[in-house]
Amino acid sequence: MRVDSSGDAPVAVCNLTKTFLDESRGLIRAVDGISFQCRESEVFGLLGANGAGKTTTLRMLSTIISPTSGTARILGHDIVKNPSGVRRSMGFYSASTALYPRLTARETIEFFARINQYPDDKVQARVNSLISRFGITEYAGVRVEKLSTGMKQKVSIARTIAHNPRIVIFDEPTIGLDVLNALEVQKAIHDLRSEGRTIIFSTHIMSEAEKLCDRIAIIHRGHILACDTLAGLRQATGLHYLEDIFLLYVRGPA
Amino acid sequence: MNWASLKLLFVHEMRIVLRSRRTVVASLVLPAVLMPLLILGARYVQRRQAIQLDQTTFKYAITGPWADQARRLIVRYKAAAEFRNFHIEEEYPADPDQALEDRSLHFYVRTMSIAEADQAVAQNGGDAAGPNTSSVVTGVPGLQIVYRGSQQVARTGAERMVEMMRAARRSESYGVMLSRGFPSHPEGILAMTASNVATETQISGSNLGRFFTVILVVWLVAACSIVAMDIIAGEKERGTLETLITSGAGRAEIATAKHLAIWTVGLVITFSQVVYALVYVRLNVIQLPDNFAIDLSAQSIGQLFLLFVPLAAAIAAALLIVSAYARTYKEAQLHFFPLFMGSLVPALAAVLPGLKSRSIVAFVPLANVSVAAREVLTGRADPLMIGVTAIVTGLTAFALIRYSAKLLTREDIIVSAQQDESVLEGGDKLFQRRVFHWFAVMWAITFAVAANVPQFESARVQILFNQIGIFFIGSLLMLRRYRLNVREVIGVHRLRWPVWAAVLMAVPAAQVVAVAFFRIVNTVIPTPTELLRELGRQVVPSGMPMWQMIVLMAILPAICEELAFRGLLLHGLRNRFHPVLRCLIVGIIFGIFHYALFRIAPTALLGVILSGIALMTGSIFPAMLFHAANNGFAIVMDAAGITLNRFDWSTYAAAFGVFFLAMHTIWRYGRER
Repeated sequence: MRVDSSGDAPVAVCNLTKTFLDESRGLIRAVDGISFQCRESEVFGLLGANGAGKTTTLRMLSTIISPTSGTARILGHDIVKNPSGVRRSMGFYSASTALYPRLTARETIEFFARINQYPDDKVQARVNSLISRFGITEYAGVRVEKLSTGMKQKVSIARTIAHNPRIVIFDEPTIGLDVLNALEVQKAIHDLRSEGRTIIFSTHIMSEAEKLCDRIAIIHRGHILACDTLAGLRQATGLHYLEDIFLLYVRGPA
Repeated sequence: MNWASLKLLFVHEMRIVLRSRRTVVASLVLPAVLMPLLILGARYVQRRQAIQLDQTTFKYAITGPWADQARRLIVRYKAAAEFRNFHIEEEYPADPDQALEDRSLHFYVRTMSIAEADQAVAQNGGDAAGPNTSSVVTGVPGLQIVYRGSQQVARTGAERMVEMMRAARRSESYGVMLSRGFPSHPEGILAMTASNVATETQISGSNLGRFFTVILVVWLVAACSIVAMDIIAGEKERGTLETLITSGAGRAEIATAKHLAIWTVGLVITFSQVVYALVYVRLNVIQLPDNFAIDLSAQSIGQLFLLFVPLAAAIAAALLIVSAYARTYKEAQLHFFPLFMGSLVPALAAVLPGLKSRSIVAFVPLANVSVAAREVLTGRADPLMIGVTAIVTGLTAFALIRYSAKLLTREDIIVSAQQDESVLEGGDKLFQRRVFHWFAVMWAITFAVAANVPQFESARVQILFNQIGIFFIGSLLMLRRYRLNVREVIGVHRLRWPVWAAVLMAVPAAQVVAVAFFRIVNTVIPTPTELLRELGRQVVPSGMPMWQMIVLMAILPAICEELAFRGLLLHGLRNRFHPVLRCLIVGIIFGIFHYALFRIAPTALLGVILSGIALMTGSIFPAMLFHAANNGFAIVMDAAGITLNRFDWSTYAAAFGVFFLAMHTIWRYGRER
């Protein structure tokens, strides 16, 4: 798959590779030269089984870890050369990014707005608007440790977009959530896309990918096997259900 | 560095710290309550114990050939004022040993005939004629107090009986001497007084100064660790570290803010401990010795601040690194203990007699603060060296903070599931990661063996063990374990003749230059003459034949040490540091292996030169030649009684010129470019 990383795409990934060691399996190419681009205002889904390379890819994009080779550009910032610029341009949300239990919801959102250099004079207005948007006004002054899981989820999404980023990465955001909370997260993703943001979303749940993603990349053992809209994937495979399409790419024709 | 981000992160860290009830209670409330409780409790227990012992009537028996005489002696001296509270009651058991076993006796007094006493002295050494004499008296009857040391009450009773019997012996001896015509009272033969010209303040300052740094280091490490454990390891465990590092803040700002938070909390808690201690002294909860006087002027307090504030920064940075390496809060707790114990060793430098801050110790972090603080407290502060100490400690703190910021960019640190590729690939790459571990273990073995095995007091045994057992076999193990290419490690290739000539030319020049260097250093930081004598004694041990000295101290070290240090160590560091830094690191490690403090600097300087030669030539063989020639030259010079420190400065300048020319030649003709 040939991708031109110098184009205007808000996210352009080019030959991204990450190798590391697993004690039992030896040297692993967790991500093996993947390339893709995300367009403005779309939800780009990375669909893959556990261990397919989704989280490693997103961790590289969010500059938590650096690639072994290849690179990516986020709103023009190179993830290797300008990691701070990358982080300020995007929000990163995952099941492993926790909140500070001893801060209140308001303090959490305000801290992340300021640390991501949101203009000082607009911080309070932004915090108030997010508190009201996520319906946490009543709990804004309560410490996070005392909030319910659902409330924490909302505060977590609010802090992810506190600095109003154009790109938001969601790494398996509904993992471990009950149906109602998972639906809240899906609604938040949908709303963020409607606001014109580009969302990169990883999941192993077919129904979520079908429901939310404008384009889906099927990732398996560090390789992207297919990348298209759901309609495009259906047309290419002749199958209707995403689950069948996924299995076809991962296991090959029955 | 983005200062706005740093400020924001620091405020954020402090807010989180202050909202932790556990931190506030453990660091501020508990010490305020616990310290006086512990002191008062200990004092209460001591008082109760003293009362109990005073009220105890010790049961004893007397056995042996002159029991009646001993009984009369005891009765007579029991009436003395100093033994009035010593209540004893004689029992008459059939078997005193069985009575001790049954606890119906606290102790018994065994009188012995001359033969028995001599036998007992031969077996046990006796207590000699008195506490201040060294000769053992034989040919007199003996008296032995038999007790069970495992019972505290019995032990105390027996000790008091020994005291009483010693007083009786002294008094009886004086009586005999006087009755036989000794012209005056035996204690009156010589009037002896001592006059101490030091002021009470100096004496108290000296006593306090020896342990002042240890106390403050214990407080600082304990205080800083309360926050440090949580600040990275705890955050990793909770998942908030990942949240923070995906924000717009840089890793350097995150590490610096965390360091500042640990530093601040450490200083506040330590300061509060000092205040608590002063309050307890004022309230008489802590009782100071009589005549205790510390005169702390504003200047002295300022100097102590100048010493301890950078030290707190260095401790905070070290703890931050430990916290970063730990994967969980509990793991961090485990790692803190070795650091805590390790920090106490240099903190005790002030206990060493004769050590001054104006010496090489000024460049040893923590030990320098310990020595300088003692000088401040005894009123002999050296302002220049306080400045040097503060700068050295500050630079250490800075280096540690930079290292901790670097750690936050390492994936194996922030994402614990991930490991370095080199671990699997093994070989050369893995060796580069592990080379420091190997040398740390080698150093620990040499140090532990030298300190604990009596046979190593012999220079021959120590040299053979270090050179062959540690350096040579250690090098072979590294080569084998990592399957390193031997030719590459030692650098087997043809070198042009000017290199060898230059090496031989450099040896005498280097010795003269080194003497000039240490003469210059000595004018700034004088080295005590006793240390120089000790250095000479260690470098050239007496009583060893010349050929043995040449083999053991010139040829063997040249082969084994060059293989280990300029071969393996220099090779292992080759992709990690700038060549100049590599020379310095290898030189310093080489110096540290010669673990006597005063040998580190000269050996490190030699190590730097040898590393430079090895780097310039790409081979260890010219360094081997230099090493052997250098040591051989020093041995021969010493044997001939020639010293190099009597030259004038023009000779030193000429030697420097020759040395520079030799080094240039080695660089010019060294490695094929």
